[in-house]
Amino acid sequence: MSTEVFSAAVPTRRFAAWRGYAGIQVRVSMAYRTDYLFNLVGLLVQVFLLTVVWRSVYAGRGTVSGVDLSTQLAYTTFGSVQYWLFTPWSFSVIPDRVRSGRIAVDLVRPLPFLGQVTAAQAGITAGMAPFAILALPVAVLIGGAAAPTSVTAGAAYVLSLILAYAISTLFASTVGLAAFWTTEISGFFMLYRMIGQFFSGALVPLWFMPGWLSATSHALPFQAMNYTSLAIYLGRDQGGRILGDLAVQAGWLVVATLALRLVWSRALRRVISQGG
Amino acid sequence: MRVRQVRMYAILLRAGMRGQMQYRANFALITIGGFAYQGVGLAFLWIVVARFGSLGGWSIADVALLYGMRLTSHGLWSVPSAQVLSIDIAIREGEFDRYLVRPVNPLIQLLTRSFPLQTISDLMGGVIVLIGAASAADIHWGPGNVGWLLAGLVGGALVEFAVYLAVSALSFRVVAARSPLLTVGSIMQSAGPYPLPIFPAAARAVLTFALPVAFIAYLPAAVLLHRTGEVPFASWLGYAAPAVGLLLAAISYRFWMRQLRQYASPGN
Repeated sequence: MSTEVFSAAVPTRRFAAWRGYAGIQVRVSMAYRTDYLFNLVGLLVQVFLLTVVWRSVYAGRGTVSGVDLSTQLAYTTFGSVQYWLFTPWSFSVIPDRVRSGRIAVDLVRPLPFLGQVTAAQAGITAGMAPFAILALPVAVLIGGAAAPTSVTAGAAYVLSLILAYAISTLFASTVGLAAFWTTEISGFFMLYRMIGQFFSGALVPLWFMPGWLSATSHALPFQAMNYTSLAIYLGRDQGGRILGDLAVQAGWLVVATLALRLVWSRALRRVISQGG
Repeated sequence: MRVRQVRMYAILLRAGMRGQMQYRANFALITIGGFAYQGVGLAFLWIVVARFGSLGGWSIADVALLYGMRLTSHGLWSVPSAQVLSIDIAIREGEFDRYLVRPVNPLIQLLTRSFPLQTISDLMGGVIVLIGAASAADIHWGPGNVGWLLAGLVGGALVEFAVYLAVSALSFRVVAARSPLLTVGSIMQSAGPYPLPIFPAAARAVLTFALPVAFIAYLPAAVLLHRTGEVPFASWLGYAAPAVGLLLAAISYRFWMRQLRQYASPGN
């Protein structure tokens, strides 16, 4: 079975198959559009509350830790929306496949399982993207916005964002593979989600953290899933540091890919699907 | 009659709990996950106050007290009655129809359909934060303040209960009422831990009179911290919080029972 993972098919046919996979998830998202719309309300409330806090603590101050209020508001707005898009509540499709027993069918398909999972995840993001685009202008009205500090920053942001998405999705799939060991994983997932949210700078940027906490955050992969891209966009990191940031992200992408492969090779030996 | 209702509630809750406790390892992980969820919210506030000195004039001990009170009230609400959130499932699965033919109050049957394990971490976490903050905050813990704290906690739980119960009654009329219920819940939870005066005027009014989040923890906490002077609209609102909780819960229960008469089983 594991050789199947690397089997080569005609590239275009394979691409069509991946697209089909993603398409299914897009349609699933559309079926739940009411839930997503309510979910958006939650996102906008979150942006509102965070900006209320920042406006309150900034009252009568210029810059704090080298950051002014409008930069902080832009960070909060963009950061919340991109984090929402990259980290759906069910961040991996794997546990559901295992619990329902559909994993058995997934594994006999002539497409590698990790590819199926990645395509499905991309489909979920594609299905959520219109909602994020819908939310963005409202979030900007509530919070605030800023243009990228330079053309370079703008271009590097796009690249950084793509890397952030890839790292986030690969790590999520790796964590999702825990479902192969136990189906009682909701607590473990919550723990991962919360650690990720905090250290990715989704609530408070790394520049406001005390030194030791900021150092910890910089050493963990989560900042590469969110904070780094915003630091580039808002000009916190400039020039050579942008290259350094992108290199760190590329490094985490390699680690994420290797971790997923490693865990998968172990998980495959443990396939016990529910319901036979 | 009332005593019997409470006894039925206790028996059914214990049965539900026994079922859930079969999975001990999962319970431990769910509790840790719950702590992480609440801890992240507190860590955010702590970092902000550490960097900026205060939040609307509230020190970190004050903010932690507010956070602990809100979380404890949330736990006091959710441990016995979080199943209000699953009313749409009970209706869709036809479970609710069975409640109506049994000789026990349908609300009690709904609340005891299974024990919501994840709520224990909220109550435990809330009490832990509250104990830590209570000793750090500048409050003399005589019988008066302890009594007020308990009244405030129960009142806060009743406010939450009232809001969830009222929104859940939507399910008697429309099929997919889960999203509004969860959204209202997430707004209450996320707006709860902030001092009301930091909000813009319109939001203060909404959080006091429309979605009464202020009554859950902010108002009783403001009384404990001698901050009723900063309370928007009227400083006596702080002292009214526990009574408002009782009143809202009673109104909401009557509303729910009235809406129940509109219930037409989805099976028909």
